[in-house]
Amino acid sequence: MKTSLFTHSVPKFLVAGGSVALAVGLMTDLYGLPSFRFRKNVGEACQQVVRAEAKLSRDQLAKLLVIPEGQNQKAVRQVVQDPYCKLSSLQVRVGATAQREAYPLDFDANTWLVVLYEGEQYVGYRFNTR
Amino acid sequence: MWATDLTRGRGRFHHVLSAIAPIVVLLGLVSCQSNPKTEPPLQLNLHQKWQLQPGDQVAGYPVLGGLGDISISLNRQAVYAPFTGRTQLDNRNCVIFSSPDVPAYLFRLCGLENPRLGSVSPGDRIGRADTLQFAALRKQPNGTWAIVEPSRQILERTLKQP
Repeated sequence: MKTSLFTHSVPKFLVAGGSVALAVGLMTDLYGLPSFRFRKNVGEACQQVVRAEAKLSRDQLAKLLVIPEGQNQKAVRQVVQDPYCKLSSLQVRVGATAQREAYPLDFDANTWLVVLYEGEQYVGYRFNTR
Repeated sequence: MWATDLTRGRGRFHHVLSAIAPIVVLLGLVSCQSNPKTEPPLQLNLHQKWQLQPGDQVAGYPVLGGLGDISISLNRQAVYAPFTGRTQLDNRNCVIFSSPDVPAYLFRLCGLENPRLGSVSPGDRIGRADTLQFAALRKQPNGTWAIVEPSRQILERTLKQP
C-alpha cells in the first residue's frame, strides 16, 4: 500500500538529474530560437547620417523597384532622394568600391532598405529587418 | 490509508509535473522554429554557363571548384560570417551566404563540412573545410548571378574572426 509510483520507482535525484541533463542539452540549441536570433540579428551601423528625416513612402518604394539594376545612380536618387545615412564603403569585388545607403520605410519602422552603388552605377537593393 | 497514499502520490506527481513542464515548453519552442536544413536548396541561375561546376563529375571524379572559384587551403580551419546574414544550401550542396547589408551580392562557399544554416551574425562560424572554394556572385540586370573576382577584404572577413 505504501509504495506509490513516485515515492520509490522514480527516485528524486533521477528526476532532478534528468531535468538538468535535458535542460543542458536544450540550452545548446537555444541559440537557434527566434528570440536569441532576433537579439543578435542587427544590421550594420550608419557611418554618417545624411538626412535624418528621410523615410521611404510606398509610392517611392514602388517606383524604385521598377528601376533596373545597372542604371545610373541619378535615376534612383530622383525617386528616393537623399538617404537617411551611409554605411561604410566596402570593396566586395576587385576594381569597384561599393557605397551603401540606407532608408527606413515610412510604413514599417523596423524595415530598412539598403541600396548599393558602384561608382555611378546602381547595383541593387535589399531589405533589412532590424 | 488509501486516501493518504493517493494524496501523497498526487503531490509527488505535481512536483514532477512542475519540474518537467518548463522542459516540455522549451521542447515545443524548439520544434516550432523552422528548420533551415529542411528548406529546399537554392537554384541560382548563373550568368556564366560553364560546363563544369562544383559538384559535377568528370571521368568519375568529383569537381570541387570551377572557373571563378578561389581555392583556399584551410586545413580544417573555420570560416566565419563576414556580415549579419543568412546561410542556405544550394542544389550543389554549397553554402550560399546573403546579407541585407550587402545588396546585389551573394557569396558561395563550397567544401564546408557540417555548415551552420540559418541566421548568422558577423564572426559566427559557418563551418570548416579542408579546401574552401569561394565565389562572389553579383546580380545582373536580367536576374542572373555573375561570378566576379572577390576582393581580398571580403576573403579576409570570411577567414578571420573580427
